[in-house]
Amino acid sequence: MPEYTDIELIELFRDADKKHFAYNLLVRKYQEKIYFFIRRMVIDHEDSNDVVQNVFIKVWSNLDSFREDSKFYTWLYRIAVNESLSFMKSRNLRSYLSLSSPEAIKMKTLNADSFYNGDEIQKRLREAIIRLPKKQQLVFNMKYYDDLSYDEISVILGTSVGALKASYHFAVKKIENSVLSD
Amino acid sequence: MKMKQNIRNHADTQETISPFLESMKNKPDGLLVPDGYFESLNSNIVDRINKEQNLSYSQNKIPSPGKPVVWAPIMVTAIAALLFIFFIPAKNEATSIINDDWTEIYLAYDASYAEEALIAESSLIDNEINNSESFAESLLLNTNYTPTDDEIADYLETQEIDTDILTND
Repeated sequence: MPEYTDIELIELFRDADKKHFAYNLLVRKYQEKIYFFIRRMVIDHEDSNDVVQNVFIKVWSNLDSFREDSKFYTWLYRIAVNESLSFMKSRNLRSYLSLSSPEAIKMKTLNADSFYNGDEIQKRLREAIIRLPKKQQLVFNMKYYDDLSYDEISVILGTSVGALKASYHFAVKKIENSVLSD
Repeated sequence: MKMKQNIRNHADTQETISPFLESMKNKPDGLLVPDGYFESLNSNIVDRINKEQNLSYSQNKIPSPGKPVVWAPIMVTAIAALLFIFFIPAKNEATSIINDDWTEIYLAYDASYAEEALIAESSLIDNEINNSESFAESLLLNTNYTPTDDEIADYLETQEIDTDILTND
């Protein structure tokens, strides 16, 4: 099967006859990347599954009006960020009723998750990341795990490159102190 | 401002991470997925899209409760029912109004005046009129009845007639 660029797939998507074909290819191209990006924020597999499906449904609904002033995958990441934050906000509201912090609930979820088999060090690393403020988590995950450039992250989050560099720097320091000092 | 700039400059030169984080980066992070998850994810998403499109089509056919065409007639009916219950006066069958002139005059002047008081008063007045008429009648017609001087004097007084006419002087 020939490899299509994102621009080609978007053009195919806008052709009524090839819409489904192009959409399937886009989903298969980005599903793992987007899934694990969401999973690192949301932790639980079932919740991540819901959020990733919401993301791609939004892509289906809005790709016709995608203006191409940014790259497709930065637009896709922006949708994934918004959906993840919305999901966590709704979960945080529920956590007020349980009197536990959102971070504590996430760690509990991680320890109870049957789709997690990290060792002790990996758990400590995951816990240190969970304890970061949300925006720092996003910056850290996109830079550390997904290897996005600061320019790309700047487009996704709408934050200046300088602020992102500072944010990543602080996140790395906090994580290292947390994991290595315990 | 200067501190922020210093932090950014420092961050620029500190892009490298610790060896620990460097080593962890390339290892699996422990997050697993069910077998065949990514193979079926695409079809699951398409199924959801089709369901939502069918649902929105059926919602367009049946007006939702939130639309004015549904709730407006219900509101109008409810408001009309409330008006009917609270503003149409209830008819009290226990007492009937005597529609004589005296009662009507009183009602016209003071609607809060109790109907029972009006009825009682009206009947009292009627009794007085009847009594005074019967007394006068009895005086005129009842040849068997002979009123006493005191009764005559009382009658003349009520009629405001000078009792001196009784005297022969």
